[in-house]
Amino acid sequence: MSTWQVERQEGEDGEVTLSVAEGTPLSPWDAGAALRIVGTPRTRLEGVEKVTGSAQYAYDVRLAGQLYAGILRSPHPHARLTRVDTTAAAALPGVHAVISLADAPDIDWYDDSKLFDPTLRFAGDEVAAVAAEDEDIVADALRLVVAEYEPLPFAIDIVAALAPGATPIHEGGNVESEKTYERGDVEAGLRAADVTFDRVLTTQTAIHHSLEPHGCTVAWEGEGVTVWESTQSIFDVRQQVAEKLGLGESQVRVIKQHMGGGFGSKQIVWKQTVIAALLAKRSGRPVQLMLDREGESLAVGNRNPTRQRLRLGATADGTLTAIDVTIHQAIGAHSAGGEGSNTAGLYQTLYACPNVRTSQTGVYTNTGPAVAFRAPGYVEAAFALETGMDDLARQLGMDPLALRLTNYTGDDQSKEMPFSQPDGLRACYEKATVAFGWGETIEQPAESHRRRGVGIAAHHWVGGAGDPPGYAWVKLNPDGRADIITGTQDIGTGTRTGLAMVAAEELGFTLDQVTFHLGDTALGPYAPVSSGSATMATIGPAIRAAAAEAKAELLAAAAAFLEEPVERLSVRDGLIRVAGEPEDRATPVAAVTGSMSPHMIQTQGARGGNPEDVSIQTFGVQCAEVEVDTRTGEVTILRVVAAHDCGRIINPTTVDSQVIGGVTQGIGFALTEERVVDAATGIVLNANLEEYKVPTVSDIPGIQNVHVGIPDLKANPTGSKGIGEPPLIPTAPAIANAVFDAVGVRFYDLPLSRSRVVDALAARERQGMPA
Amino acid sequence: MTMRTFAYAQPESLADVIAALGAAPSRDAVRPLAGGTDLLTLMKGDIVAPDRLLDLKRLTGLDDTVEIRDNELVLGALTTLTAIETGSLVGEHCPALAKAASLAATPQLRNRATLGGNLLQRPRCWYFREHLIPCWLKGGDACPAREGENGLHALFADSPCVAVHPSDLATVLLAMDATVTVRGDAGERAIAAGDFFVQPDEGRRRENTLGGDEVVLSVAIPLIPGRTSAYHKAMDRKAWAFALVSAACSFRLDGGVMRDVRVVLGGVAPIPWRSTAAEAALDGERPGADVFARAAAAALAGAEPLRHNGYKVHLARNLVIEALEEVTRA
Amino acid sequence: MGRHRHTVTLTINGETHDLAVEPRRTLLDALRDDVSLTGTKKVCDMGNCGACTVLVEGQAMYSCLLLAVDCQGLSVTTIEGLGHDGQLDPIQRAFIEADAFQCGFCTPGQVMSLRGLLDATPSPSDEQIERAVTGNLCRCGAYLHIIDAGRRAVVLDREAKEVRDVHVAG
Repeated sequence: MSTWQVERQEGEDGEVTLSVAEGTPLSPWDAGAALRIVGTPRTRLEGVEKVTGSAQYAYDVRLAGQLYAGILRSPHPHARLTRVDTTAAAALPGVHAVISLADAPDIDWYDDSKLFDPTLRFAGDEVAAVAAEDEDIVADALRLVVAEYEPLPFAIDIVAALAPGATPIHEGGNVESEKTYERGDVEAGLRAADVTFDRVLTTQTAIHHSLEPHGCTVAWEGEGVTVWESTQSIFDVRQQVAEKLGLGESQVRVIKQHMGGGFGSKQIVWKQTVIAALLAKRSGRPVQLMLDREGESLAVGNRNPTRQRLRLGATADGTLTAIDVTIHQAIGAHSAGGEGSNTAGLYQTLYACPNVRTSQTGVYTNTGPAVAFRAPGYVEAAFALETGMDDLARQLGMDPLALRLTNYTGDDQSKEMPFSQPDGLRACYEKATVAFGWGETIEQPAESHRRRGVGIAAHHWVGGAGDPPGYAWVKLNPDGRADIITGTQDIGTGTRTGLAMVAAEELGFTLDQVTFHLGDTALGPYAPVSSGSATMATIGPAIRAAAAEAKAELLAAAAAFLEEPVERLSVRDGLIRVAGEPEDRATPVAAVTGSMSPHMIQTQGARGGNPEDVSIQTFGVQCAEVEVDTRTGEVTILRVVAAHDCGRIINPTTVDSQVIGGVTQGIGFALTEERVVDAATGIVLNANLEEYKVPTVSDIPGIQNVHVGIPDLKANPTGSKGIGEPPLIPTAPAIANAVFDAVGVRFYDLPLSRSRVVDALAARERQGMPA
Repeated sequence: MTMRTFAYAQPESLADVIAALGAAPSRDAVRPLAGGTDLLTLMKGDIVAPDRLLDLKRLTGLDDTVEIRDNELVLGALTTLTAIETGSLVGEHCPALAKAASLAATPQLRNRATLGGNLLQRPRCWYFREHLIPCWLKGGDACPAREGENGLHALFADSPCVAVHPSDLATVLLAMDATVTVRGDAGERAIAAGDFFVQPDEGRRRENTLGGDEVVLSVAIPLIPGRTSAYHKAMDRKAWAFALVSAACSFRLDGGVMRDVRVVLGGVAPIPWRSTAAEAALDGERPGADVFARAAAAALAGAEPLRHNGYKVHLARNLVIEALEEVTRA
Repeated sequence: MGRHRHTVTLTINGETHDLAVEPRRTLLDALRDDVSLTGTKKVCDMGNCGACTVLVEGQAMYSCLLLAVDCQGLSVTTIEGLGHDGQLDPIQRAFIEADAFQCGFCTPGQVMSLRGLLDATPSPSDEQIERAVTGNLCRCGAYLHIIDAGRRAVVLDREAKEVRDVHVAG
């Protein structure tokens, strides 16, 4: 049964913290486990709600007397707000509350600034907010806010921010952070190399563009407040709202049943939530504050652009001798927090290499703050590293797959311990390349200007392992149905369904005997943020633990009910069976639970700790085939084959959706997506879904997800790891490498936009190469 | 992204609309409303703020009829892009126009957007569409795109403005020698497409010569026996994008040689850009790779690329060749 | 200029609604805020995403680019108007079966676009299915499954129609 230990720790400042170790020992579901539900394809539990439009998102909350709110944003990338006057706005009929620097409470935000700060550090920074009876009146009122600015010099990119004499965006300058890592001797490694790669590669700023914008609906009742928030972390919203408003956590209730996309950007709490709460307090009415698309584009996160100078060395047989990378990434105007963008990580771990040096510098710029975007850092690094590896393979005359396998490792070299699944990546290489037909000759179109090529890229990902704490409750009702309750959230990934499957599996129930509850801090036990691809691996074991205890109690009750020894009893398909007795003599669970009514079986499961002697990672490989029209520069992705190791596959249906979705986002990152900032004004020119081009249905080729599905028995008792972020990581380099294979042009900058491709092909034509 | 207040009226006749437009204090104060797919985005973006909108959809005198009249294919101004894309008369007599419609926007927009509105739509230039940034076309002093992010901008701008015309249909219509019939206070007039679209200048910061009191009634395409046409469009994604560059070409073969040749480029100028130099290079010649290449080079000969749009020269050249090849095959 | 309101009569999902709205009220906001039909989603509000797609007189359109006053007397069908007698619309069933969504925020718009297609073209080609949803962005990237759902829906739609025809005949 479960264990619970607490240990006192005292910091240097005398602050006492208690660290808790807990968990329920469970034997892992190993490869031989006879699972009946886990591993079978299931449609989503919330499917009907989502296809009928009845699923309630934060944007859909409609309360009596509800107001709508909006935010006035800075038109300058860097300015001092010298005056703000909301008198006229407040006087407009239909306006019920305003807030700005003039009257906002003193609430700290970001590193060294305030909720409403006199210094505005990006075009889009919050200046004032209004709550009114409808959205049209909100817009009218915002136009009536008088704001005067003293523009300051600004820097919108890495080069400008690091230039001598650049305007300091924060006290202490524009270097936000510097992290270095070194093993071996890269210079010696490069000297020992027969071939080298030395290039600067860049990746662009990408915007998450969740279709449901960030925002919330807030209603006060006395001193307590309820927040319906579009968030990846209801408990973090609760903690932050309480802290910023000086409330106790129990005074804040956060609800999120459905969310229209987050991709990392909703894993932290942004200003508008607290602004909405303040407007609701001032107006005495519920307030809904959802960002418009412009605000969504500007102020609530982006994938940081990077500039990476990469040096690689290898001997003639393909053995890597050195990896040396110097990374600069523009984190925007503030350190927003959340999952870090660890661009250096991939270089340290993907390939066996004795000599590795990484340097990662975060740079402040006068642009919207960056925040985790689906595999932050790894997506950016994979483009550079896997481009470099492809180039080395070409130089060596080696198959790009063979070069990668030559440098295979089953150890996490940065942690100096083995991976929990040392053969995970190898399985991905095998599955992806076999399904793709890697190495087979591809058929070229008859027209000489249409050229096809193939590319491959690999990755590992630091996430997907899950961590404590995380809890779940199981309640067996008199009618024999189970309620599964947890404070996690389904961010669109299918966790509701997958976790219900884990519960039903462990209980021995059918899936429709399980009702799943999540997304409410008042009604469920704590669960952490849904980020790092961790939810299934964090909450799955907690649910298994709670269900295992419930099942043990159920069988004990059944033993009394049936007057049979408990050792002879089991539960399957919601029926209690006695060993050796015929199937049709099985007893419905309800017979037992009903007979003990109103007593009920109610248990809690806690996520135990992770093993300390292995590194739990996830892996993947993708192969892409593309066609390039050398006349028009049009790149057409013909197919992508993906193989990802996420341990045991709980629900193949939703795993497939995660993979095709990640690859789809990867195609956008590879070809079309890029935030554009005007250098003269610092204004984002495509803060919309017209000129920021996410892929359409017509941009997406056949995508095949090849299941790897090796349970990771060392990772956790479900054997499952996360799949949320990884499928996006290797897509762009696989495509870029395929483009090189097709036309012999190497791209070192993302995206491979039409203009870049046409320019490169035209330049080659001018050099007399065949078109 | 919310509109300012305005009044909305449904005039009963076209004459009422023309009178109201004529009496308006400024061109932007009163605007006709058809599909609204461009106008409403301009209003939401705070680029224009009319006091009054006049619905054109429920009055007599304006329609969505497509018919053959006096050896011309005539399309009413309210004809939707969907009707142009799928209608049998357009498909039979001007497949390039149907193709242009099919490559424009999305089904939802094509169901709503009208031919008249499509010709009159304003540029997509991101400086023009950003109300925070002054630009010449919006009444400012200078064009910020000239030195700014101009990858989507013009190669041929005989104007302070370097935005490009966004219409796919207009590019084809110019290649088909279409005329635009308009009506205003002074009555009806038919304007050749080449005179309808004119580069903006100091006196007229617009892309066309439609009078302030005028409404587009219809578009007529002369039916020239044996003439075939093609439209090719390059986008930065596979669907739902304005043209980076497009090319509409048409000619007829007369004894094996090309006659009545038209070569028009989209996405390279503030208006659909006809290249008479390319046409001259083709006229009287037999279709073939060499002459197509010469014509394509001629079409781009005077191009003045900005800092970020040099790729359009290469792209436009090859789209002209592709379009000419397709006309030849047709 | 004052905030003059017009009275507009709309037929929404077969029910008549008289709304008092300003001319600038979009059909989208009227549906979501005045009629509380929140199944139709607001995402870009500029005709760039498709999440607000509804059928107007049977044709798929972006409700964010329609003025409510401009829809006077017209028949509007939203996601809430699909399905009969407590049964899901075949397209809705197909979306669930094909797992044609993740977050679900674009789903009502996707479903309405396909409903518009199948009403006009009961046996569409794969290309027609794809073209019908080119104006509906899906940021989760469920496109392949949406196409699959479209294909399934063609079959389910035909079966459902046959069942209805039998009922009518009976």
